Amino acid sequence: MKKKQQGGGHDRRPGFWVYGILIAVLFGSAFPIWWSFLIGSQDAAAINKSGINWIPGGNFLANAATVIDTVPFWTALMNSIIVSSSVALSVVVFSTLAGYAFAKLKFRGREGLLIFVIATMAVPTQLGIVPLFIVMSRLGWTGSLWAVIAPAMVTAFGVFWMTQYLRDALPDELIEAVRMDGASMIGSFWHVGLPAARPAAAMLALFTFIATWTNFFWPFIVLDPGNPTLPVALQQLQAAHYVDYSLVLSGVVLSIIPLVLVFIFLGKQLVAGIMQGAVKG
Amino acid sequence: MKRFPRTKMAAVVAGAASIALITTGCSAGTDSGSSAGGDVTLTVATFNEFGYDDLFAKYEEANPNVTIKHKKAATSNEARDNLTTRLAAGSGLSDVEAIEVDWLPELLQYSNQFIDLASADVDGRWLDWKEKAATDADGRLIGYGTDIGPEAVCYRSDLFEAAGLPTDRAEVADMLGTSWDSYYAAGEKFASAGTNVPWFDSAGATWQGVVNQLENAYEENDGTVIATENPEVREAYDDVLDASSTLSAHLSQWSDDWTASFQNDGFATMLCPGWMLGVISGNADGVAGWDIADTFPGGGGNWGGSYLTVPTQSKHQEEAQKLAAWLTAPEQQLSAFASKGTFPSQIDALASDELLGATNEFFNNAPTGEILANRAAAVSVTPFKGAKYFAINDAMQQAITRVEDGLMSADESWAQFETDVKSLG
Amino acid sequence: MTAAIDVDARSLRRIARNHRLNRWDVRFSPYLYISPFFILFALVGLFPLLYTAWVSVHDWNLIGGQGDFVGIDNYVTVLSQPYFWTSLRNTFSIFLFSSVPQVLLAMGIAAFLDYNLRAKTLWRMGVLLPYVVAPVAVALIFSNLFGDRFGLINELLGGIGIDAIRWHVDVIPSHLAIATMVNFRWTGYTTLIFLAAMQAIPRDYYEAAIIDGANRLRTFWSITVPLLRPVIIFVIITSTIGGLQIFDEPRMFDQAGQGGANRQWQTLTLYIYELGWGQRNFGRASAVAWLLFLVIIVIAILNFVITRRIAGSTERRIRTKGKR
Repeated sequence: MKKKQQGGGHDRRPGFWVYGILIAVLFGSAFPIWWSFLIGSQDAAAINKSGINWIPGGNFLANAATVIDTVPFWTALMNSIIVSSSVALSVVVFSTLAGYAFAKLKFRGREGLLIFVIATMAVPTQLGIVPLFIVMSRLGWTGSLWAVIAPAMVTAFGVFWMTQYLRDALPDELIEAVRMDGASMIGSFWHVGLPAARPAAAMLALFTFIATWTNFFWPFIVLDPGNPTLPVALQQLQAAHYVDYSLVLSGVVLSIIPLVLVFIFLGKQLVAGIMQGAVKG
Repeated sequence: MKRFPRTKMAAVVAGAASIALITTGCSAGTDSGSSAGGDVTLTVATFNEFGYDDLFAKYEEANPNVTIKHKKAATSNEARDNLTTRLAAGSGLSDVEAIEVDWLPELLQYSNQFIDLASADVDGRWLDWKEKAATDADGRLIGYGTDIGPEAVCYRSDLFEAAGLPTDRAEVADMLGTSWDSYYAAGEKFASAGTNVPWFDSAGATWQGVVNQLENAYEENDGTVIATENPEVREAYDDVLDASSTLSAHLSQWSDDWTASFQNDGFATMLCPGWMLGVISGNADGVAGWDIADTFPGGGGNWGGSYLTVPTQSKHQEEAQKLAAWLTAPEQQLSAFASKGTFPSQIDALASDELLGATNEFFNNAPTGEILANRAAAVSVTPFKGAKYFAINDAMQQAITRVEDGLMSADESWAQFETDVKSLG
Repeated sequence: MTAAIDVDARSLRRIARNHRLNRWDVRFSPYLYISPFFILFALVGLFPLLYTAWVSVHDWNLIGGQGDFVGIDNYVTVLSQPYFWTSLRNTFSIFLFSSVPQVLLAMGIAAFLDYNLRAKTLWRMGVLLPYVVAPVAVALIFSNLFGDRFGLINELLGGIGIDAIRWHVDVIPSHLAIATMVNFRWTGYTTLIFLAAMQAIPRDYYEAAIIDGANRLRTFWSITVPLLRPVIIFVIITSTIGGLQIFDEPRMFDQAGQGGANRQWQTLTLYIYELGWGQRNFGRASAVAWLLFLVIIVIAILNFVITRRIAGSTERRIRTKGKR
């Protein structure tokens, strides 16, 4: 953080107006969330009357209780945790392995295969939903979490990301040294590759986790209403309470809380991850 | 990147991973399950308002081994999409699935996906036509009738008063008359009083009233699609849109604005089948002035009404059938009527004093039982609904909405409707 | 004696075997490491795409399953549907409304974040907050804000004398509303990418310009923006693939989820859903999926070509500037 020699030429402390503008920006990014709490804490009659009530009502907990009652909230929360962690774990493991091979090992076809990986980043795999649905039905997986986890287990981006990182972060000499000491290929991956990959892997895990957590389209199609993930449960809530936005938005608040908690603890890392990724990408 | 706090992140990842390992095992299959003690959890999927909430509690009390989970969809469209998707997937349906009469026909071609519910206990329980609609070509009964939707007109007496119109429900019934023309004329009178409140909520809802009075609106009895050639349909379409240009609030039903408008004097009248009463009282909570008139334009009309089915996917077919039979028994359906106004389709219920004596506090203590019974008796047409009925009617609803929203002229929108019907293949 | 020879031969053999094992290890391990990715990708990425092509040339019902081979019938039917073209238009329109303003906004915010601020991380986290809110949740919040008659935004507009806008009826307003949801969620993310790129610009460039008498706005336009061009392209490319498949926001924009009575905001993915799961016509749904796939591929290739050209020219310009 100290090397401020590169900072766009603005090294003086800025005036108040800059802070003013940034406060406005922050207001824009926080207001909708605040609004959903505002509505979510009132009752139907209060929000449907014209005129806006800017003071939160006292109804949030009651609304939240109704929400938890109407949709399988705890199941959805648990499912979201399971699905997002499994997907993050799987993506990280397979990406690190492949990234290590692409970055540090020599084998025939390496360049071609890596270009193939990069090209597949542009392939909209989401468009395969019709066959995926057919296949999942045949396998009898529809409604189970496997149907959501399996198609997300690898990403081309993950492989690309780990390859890029390991190329710079892991000196070839290090691998050669452990190889000299008689380590097998997998042994050298384990002792040298994996430790070096850890920071990038953690970042990849975090981003994959968030992406999976917020995913809606495929889970919406393939999961049962009784066994949803959080976004699918939210959709049901909209359906079940067309009458009442206070309930819908209190459900929205409930669903946001877990990731906001993650954000509070790891937001700094998220920021760093995006900024590092940008410089590399 | 180098300064990344490794331990924290490692802990998160490891924690997440172990949760995943522990829990995927047990939740990979859906646990709508039973355990050793004969305990069963039955899921019931409904939409709109069936009025079953209290009944579920009652059933659970009488059957301690049964736990009921209720899944409620907002609209019947939503319920239909979900039902067909789960049907295709071969899993994920509830033990008891509610089906609306409008899309029951398209499911009859897959009637082997539902268990045959016919039994001596329920023989002759329903109105003949109600039961016949849920019987497939092989004579299997796939659904127990819940309610029917005899239609009356609901109105805001306070707004009527402000416009100098009669407010007493008998007088209102007289004023509204028995034809669509007289209903619209009353609307013009209301509008000319300068209250600035539209007469009815939407042309789409009005259309439902009209189309349910046509015997073969969209399809011949053999299933041939005639929707776009049938002069009756085009005529009705033009009439409704004509009226809507001056009388409608242009609030399409079930939209957010429609819902919110109940608290904002959105409109003065609304066609209301029995099941709509619960929707109105829910949305208009705290609004005084709603009442219901014992008349309906164009004679009687039935809008909607549903069935309970048990899909063969259910792991507790016997228990599910038992529950469905219980819910659709006259006593229970009467209690649903008392709570949400869903009008029973059971012969015994229709004749009962409980029904005929029923009043509804929200609607100015109107004798809703008697009114709706009269309305049911006035129904003279049983519209034919074939496999494509729902899809065509959905396209028609959108055609009407396009005109209401001012996106197209009636002719343009009709042309689009023709294309839509053709594309249904 | 014999025993010793024996031992030697055995250890020789063992060394040879180890050597062989080691050679296999070296030769095959890389393939072993990359194989999970390729196998899984083939199963869940490539195969479904190809299978989509297969389904698209058949009558195929959601419930009834595979029917007759119909050749290109599904494509012909779909291409003659007005809704296909409406969806295509909407998809691009929403994409433009969500990418162009987002890039501009993000660049502006990034310029401010690039100041030597107090509590830098806090500001950066602040702009990123919406990123953790799921699109479905964003859509629910904004559908409420954008209510046609009783929504906050129309109420505020009414306050300054502007007529209520029919967000759920008219084409452009509905696209704007949906694009706003996308922008809300992604602008912060994009901002941070730009910020990182800005911080990587060597400050000598600015110093030279300031000596030449340029003010801050001037340096932003003549130095920062041109140098950011590759990053801008990068941002747009990455948002293309996802942006053209947008589903969550338009689906949740109203209760019916079909994209409006006249399909004012129906996108192609929404259309695929309607065909496949509403009309239960998997054949036609697959045909649209393939057409969308082709559109995305064409755009990806276009992107690639444009990027190479622009990146090349920018590099040259920077190099010449650096020399000066």
